[in-house]
Amino acid sequence: MKKRYLKPINRREFIKKSMAGGVVVATLPLWNLYSGNLLTEEHSVSFGFNLDREILEKILEIALQNGGEFAEVYAEYTINNGISLEEDKIHSASRGADMGVGIRVLHGEKTGYAHCDDLNIGKLKETAKVAGLIASGKARQKEFDLQQEKIPSYYMAKVSPESIVAQEKAKLLWKANSIARAVDKRISQVNVGFGDMNKKIIIANSEGAWVEDKQTITRLVVFVNAIDKEKRSRGYSYKGGTLGYEHYSLKIAEEIAKDACRMALAMLPAEDAPAGEYPIIMAKGHCGTFFHEAIGHSLEGDGARKKTTCFWDSKGEIIASEIVSLADDGTVPGKRGTINIDDEGTPGQKTILIEKGRCKGFLYDKLNAKLMKVKSTGNGRRQSYQHYPIPRMTNTFLMAGQDNPEDIVKSIKHGIYISRIGGGNVTPTTGRFVFSVPEGYLIEEGKITKPLKGIQLMGNGPDVLKNITMVGHDLEIWGGGTCGKDGQSKPVSDGNPTLKVSKITIGGAKIRRG
Amino acid sequence: MDYKIIAEKVVKKALKLGVDEAEAYLQNSREFELNIRKGEVETIKQATSKGIGLTVYKDKKLGFSYTSDFSSDSLDEFVKRTVDLSLVSDAKSWNGLPDFEKREQKDLDLWDPSISKIENSKKIAIAKKVEKIALSFDKRITNSEGGFYGDSDTEIIIVNSKDISRKIKGSGVYFGTGVIAGEGNNMQSGWWSSAKTHFKDLDNIEEVAKKAGQRAVEKLGAKPVKTQKVPLVLDRYAAPSFWYGILFAINGDSVFKKTTFLTDYLVKPIASKLITIIDDPTIARHIASRPFDGEGKITRKNTLIKEGILKMFIYDSLTARKAGVKVNTMARRSGYKNLPYGRFINVIVQNGKTKREKIISGIKEGFLVKGLRGFGTDIPTGNFSVGASGFWIKNGEIAFPVDGVTLGGNTLEILKNIEAVADDLDLRGSLNSPSFKVAEIAVGGKK
Repeated sequence: MKKRYLKPINRREFIKKSMAGGVVVATLPLWNLYSGNLLTEEHSVSFGFNLDREILEKILEIALQNGGEFAEVYAEYTINNGISLEEDKIHSASRGADMGVGIRVLHGEKTGYAHCDDLNIGKLKETAKVAGLIASGKARQKEFDLQQEKIPSYYMAKVSPESIVAQEKAKLLWKANSIARAVDKRISQVNVGFGDMNKKIIIANSEGAWVEDKQTITRLVVFVNAIDKEKRSRGYSYKGGTLGYEHYSLKIAEEIAKDACRMALAMLPAEDAPAGEYPIIMAKGHCGTFFHEAIGHSLEGDGARKKTTCFWDSKGEIIASEIVSLADDGTVPGKRGTINIDDEGTPGQKTILIEKGRCKGFLYDKLNAKLMKVKSTGNGRRQSYQHYPIPRMTNTFLMAGQDNPEDIVKSIKHGIYISRIGGGNVTPTTGRFVFSVPEGYLIEEGKITKPLKGIQLMGNGPDVLKNITMVGHDLEIWGGGTCGKDGQSKPVSDGNPTLKVSKITIGGAKIRRG
Repeated sequence: MDYKIIAEKVVKKALKLGVDEAEAYLQNSREFELNIRKGEVETIKQATSKGIGLTVYKDKKLGFSYTSDFSSDSLDEFVKRTVDLSLVSDAKSWNGLPDFEKREQKDLDLWDPSISKIENSKKIAIAKKVEKIALSFDKRITNSEGGFYGDSDTEIIIVNSKDISRKIKGSGVYFGTGVIAGEGNNMQSGWWSSAKTHFKDLDNIEEVAKKAGQRAVEKLGAKPVKTQKVPLVLDRYAAPSFWYGILFAINGDSVFKKTTFLTDYLVKPIASKLITIIDDPTIARHIASRPFDGEGKITRKNTLIKEGILKMFIYDSLTARKAGVKVNTMARRSGYKNLPYGRFINVIVQNGKTKREKIISGIKEGFLVKGLRGFGTDIPTGNFSVGASGFWIKNGEIAFPVDGVTLGGNTLEILKNIEAVADDLDLRGSLNSPSFKVAEIAVGGKK
């Protein structure tokens, strides 16, 4: 929503601009390969990145010298590695290092934020002073004693990808490339990428909290294009999460490559999707983005506090059919949105947002929680030290129901099967959304038949929640993507069981007459 | 600190370690960001940041790294690691620094030195005022998403081993507001803002505020229409989202890989004769202008589509070399963390001759679209499908607000069916278009 000009406008920024703001632009699950992250102990030492207790306390004191009520230091050192293959060649191997400190001071509803990319103590003090200017009053007595906290880990990372040389990662790419090219001669282009993000964060605040976390996020992704005469299609697949390098192998690369080719070849003969209102099935695992975007964003605590989202006064009310339960859970092991702590130091947790159709609450960071007189739900997240935290989802999913997945498909005479949901966007004020569908099929007499291209799902979140008439018992949380909100990107994951929506508007190129 | 010296040192060090070519891209910026809500300051953010990206070529192999850590030990390590990375990638005959012509960098007047000296109190006053006026614009406005103001100074330095050494300092300043009209299930948000390189070029605060208020109120009661085919008018502020898909589809790399539906359309008609599109980053004081592109090449005006004929694809230097074409390249760079890539810089769809009011008054039943949701054009196939909101036109007049419908079709057909282009171009960003009319489009809504 807030734009920073004089910086190139990426696709998301652009869509935001064109909508003239007010839009949360959807998870683009695939287009940033290089957003994985972790520091092993030896690396963090070798980069000399550390802030001791004395320095942290000094910075917090300076931040509060104008009378602020709360001060926080967020220090980060991130290493991003990426390697990509295209046109039968290793295109590039890259590496990036980001280091910096963000200092936040809260005073009532006000936030002062400043950051610097220097660990020089003079610079840190100056940054703390700038952040503290949000308040105006007498300095507060130092009344905190930083106590380092231990936290449980939900990451599945034994082998740091930082410790693996690029040549080794390149083998995964070559394997995926050769497998994909051998699948079918109609596969015309193969792009493969492996990215890892290795991040160490230190958070300390004037409530006495002092906590560190090391995060590893990895992803192996395969994109393919297929051509058959005039027809063109795309396919993709990936594996990723808060996973160490031990989760990747040549066998995994092969599976991902085959899955990407399966999708492209299946979609090659696709016909134009019909426009109009239809019942739909969402396939397990691959449609969670819908719930993240169309529902989850409207249940974030900032919108609830500001009364700007469609569900702001819905707590305790029935907002969905009674078979619908929705959760956000930062503690699902190894997923892309999994966190030991959020970016304010609050432990990751599971929050039920909707239980049997009833709205149970919202996702909070510290500030919005305090103003709403509730507790943070461990959803205060930020892209980097250059950003202040805001309420964000982690792993968001529709919870498993009772129905047999096969029965769900059989229940539809004429409808659409959504295998994968793509990018989309939603306006939280109205809950209105649009999603593209990179892989979808026609359902005729209870059977999945022809592939369809150009499907767009549209409608508004509250209506869809009421129209969910069957939910399968087969919940799956897939890889996940990167969510954008207020100009901040953050890794998330989502999931769903097979489910049926009794009616939804499909935008497509083909208009049925009569 | 003179960052050019750091960039030069990094390039020299890389050459010393045996690479054939090297380029450093350094960015150094100051930013200020302020949010107001209901008349109170909500957030103030102030920061400085910097970073350097290093590209090296050794035996036609590419290595790339970036860092924000400028301590000299770290920089030495950084250069060494980048050189090591080049050993991992494969040699490509087209790899290497761009070829440079001897052209002088023009002063495009993109820096307003006064911005960094503006008192915070004045900035707060602007953000408060724009929100206040928007809130009082209409009784039906019930809530605020806030007023905002921000500014930045950015310095970009490109130094490479072909003796290219460029430096530009630019500023940006913006303000705006978002308000909500209606209540309960009938809430609509309206946003508007102004962004310029110079403070005194900013739009009038009242106008920006009223536009935000207007955009919220006018959508109240919006409803879907029936599925049907009608003429379409795409409003100038919604049109960029449509053009974005076309500009993606003429990306040189996609053409080389044959992954775009426009692969075979060079010098062929792809749109109505009324359509001429240029890329012109040389307009003085414009927020999207750049004296040199992401590779350090001096920018120039390029014609992409002339009277409906596709005149060129968009290449960066490497892709052009790979494809074996000699064209004026356009390379973007989304900061020091990324390599350059071919992308338009400042696109302007040329004004037509018709008044927008006249276009609308000539339509018996049609759809004036003011907002598009979704990406629209599917690049490999050219299928077009997008969510839309706006107003229904009946007997040449605006009848009622519409939302919750889709537009569908084939991008080439839509382009060829453009019947009229209005004369209402407003240069606001990097993609600018007047309003235009399409003879017929499929609107998907209720049965």
